[in-house]
Order: sequence, then structure tokens, then C-alpha cells
Amino acid sequence: MSTPVNLPMPTLGPVTAYAPAPIRVVLNWGRRYSLWVFNFGLACCAIEFIATSMGRYDFMRLGVIPFAPGPRQADLMVVSGTLTDKMAPAIRRLYDQMPEPKYVISFGSCSNSGGPYWDSYSVTKGVDQLIPVDVYVPGCPPRPEALLQGIITLQEKIAAERITKDSIAAKQPARYAATRTASAAEVTRPLLQRP
Amino acid sequence: MSLVKGLVTTMRTAFRRTTTKEYPDVRPELPPRSRGVIALLEENCTSCMLCARECPDWCIYIDSHKETIPAATPGGRERQRNVLDRFDIDFSLCMYCGICIEVCPFDALFWSPQFEYAEFDVRDLLHDKERLGVWMGTVPPPPALDVKAAEPAEIAAARRPPRGTGLVGP
Repeated sequence: MSTPVNLPMPTLGPVTAYAPAPIRVVLNWGRRYSLWVFNFGLACCAIEFIATSMGRYDFMRLGVIPFAPGPRQADLMVVSGTLTDKMAPAIRRLYDQMPEPKYVISFGSCSNSGGPYWDSYSVTKGVDQLIPVDVYVPGCPPRPEALLQGIITLQEKIAAERITKDSIAAKQPARYAATRTASAAEVTRPLLQRP
Repeated sequence: MSLVKGLVTTMRTAFRRTTTKEYPDVRPELPPRSRGVIALLEENCTSCMLCARECPDWCIYIDSHKETIPAATPGGRERQRNVLDRFDIDFSLCMYCGICIEVCPFDALFWSPQFEYAEFDVRDLLHDKERLGVWMGTVPPPPALDVKAAEPAEIAAARRPPRGTGLVGP
């Protein structure tokens, strides 16, 4: 098992944090219309995500670019599908690898709160137990238009925000001291011993 | 050769009309029975709990109390009726199976094709009865009956003469 590594809190530099309002509008405008998306497809909702990325719905119209080679180049993670406890460390690790500012859309009932599997022994009851979620899109699975509406909702949120060191820290759940301190060991449970 | 084949496909599709739906600007044409959100007609609900008990996810929460209505006529009997206090559907749990709508004996629940209710907080996905009532405005009219179908039961019942009028048919 790996031990937690204490990395410093990521910053975006003083330009972003203390920019006057007009500059911030320009920065946020650039940020909201070039969301390189990283699809964390886990179940049937991923098919709806793929449908949204294809020609009929085509979320590149909204500036969501589905060509991120990996989480290190992505701004937006769309968690679509049933997140099992087995997968939980991986999602936390990949989220930690994304550079700030980063956004998460929880797509579908399963990733919102476990959905139909809320009393399952092996399903995480919502991806927000592991990573901070910005927008929840309801549906089972949601329509492709519902994802487009979730993206637009997120873009409105991005347009209004001001990113500082504190705002990055405030997004994190209380049990993680900083963004990058969660290890796989923290979100997994050791094997139970037979009594 | 395969390059030419590919270019032929490119040329054929290049001049085809685009299939992209301009969603935020143009409303999508949704089928009338599409499952977007569940609407509640509160007046029809008798808080019988059938929907909450049949829900596979147990995502419907109902609280109610009994209310005594005094007798309308002297010497009459007091009546009791259920008053709905709380009717919440947790759309973060809902699997949109529609069983609650199927089992509702008084037609208090309806499908609405409305889907635009993404939230910043997962707690806002718990819609209370006021919010579920707002969705009633987006419920489409029921689809028309088949051409030679029987008359709907409600209309047939309304056309029948009321009971106890003393009229005897021929």
C-alpha cells in the first residue's frame, strides 16, 4: 500500500487570483469554452455521453473537446455510470492527476447517489463521496440533451467564479486536507478477516 | 484504391444536410411518452402509498395525516380523509422505470418529457410536492385513441344517466 504524499496546494498564480473583473471575465470566457473533457465511462450512461459527442448532438459546439489524451490534459471529468468500490481508488487517482482548475459532472443516477444500486454491497453511493462534483445531471440514463444542459449549467458557473487558492481548497471534501493527498489506501478497505 | 473509396464517402457526405440538433437554440422534438421527469397532480393523490411501496429504489417519500370533516347534514356522519403533507421524489435515486405512474390508481403521477433540471447540489434533486406540481404544466396531452377504439370509460360514465333518478329504460 502506498503512503500519502504531501504535495503543496496547487495554485494558478497571482494573475488569476487577483485579476480585476474585466480580465477575469476574459479568463473565465476562455475557460468555459475550451473544456477538454475526460470521459470516465463506467456503464450505460457512457453510451449517452458518446452519443452526445457524436454528430447528432455534437458538444464541440459548446466548446467541450473530447480529445484529451488523459486526465493530465483534461479540464472536465464526466463520471458516467455505476462507480463500484473497486473502481473508487482509480477515479480518485485520475481526478488528482487533473490540473487545476478542474470540474466534474456527475452524469446519471448511479454516479449521483448510487441510483438503483444504493443498497448494493459493492457500489459507491455517489461519486461525490470521493471527489467534489460541480453539476449533477439526473436521469437513468439522462438524454444527450440533458448532458448538454448540464454543460451549459457548468459554463454559467465557470463564468461567475473567481479561482483562488482558497476556492480550490474549499471545493475539496473535508476529509482530504488538500487536493493531492488522497492515496489509494484512503478510499479502499482492507480485506475483512473471517471471525 | 481504398483512398479513393474513402474520398468518395467524404464527397458523398460533404454535401449532405447536417444532422446536428442545435439543442440550446432549438427545442428538441421529444416523443410524447419520453421519460424526463415525474409530475404530481396533488389533488388526485390520496396518499395511498402504493407508488412508494412499489418503487424499486424507494425514492418516493410520503407523509400524510388524517383529517376529520364534520357532517354536512344534521345527524350525518363525520368523514375522514387523508391530507398529503409531503410527497418527495429523489431524482438522484430514481431509475425512471415508471412503475409509480403505472400503479397510481387515481392518476396522480404523470410522465413529463422535461429534462432540464441539472443541479449544483445533489440535495436539490429531491423535488418536493410543490416542485413536482410545477412539472404538471409540462405534461403533454395523452395520445389519441385508435380510430375504432371504444369510448374512454370516463366519458361513457358521464353520459350514463345518474343513478336514483327513477327513470326506467324501455
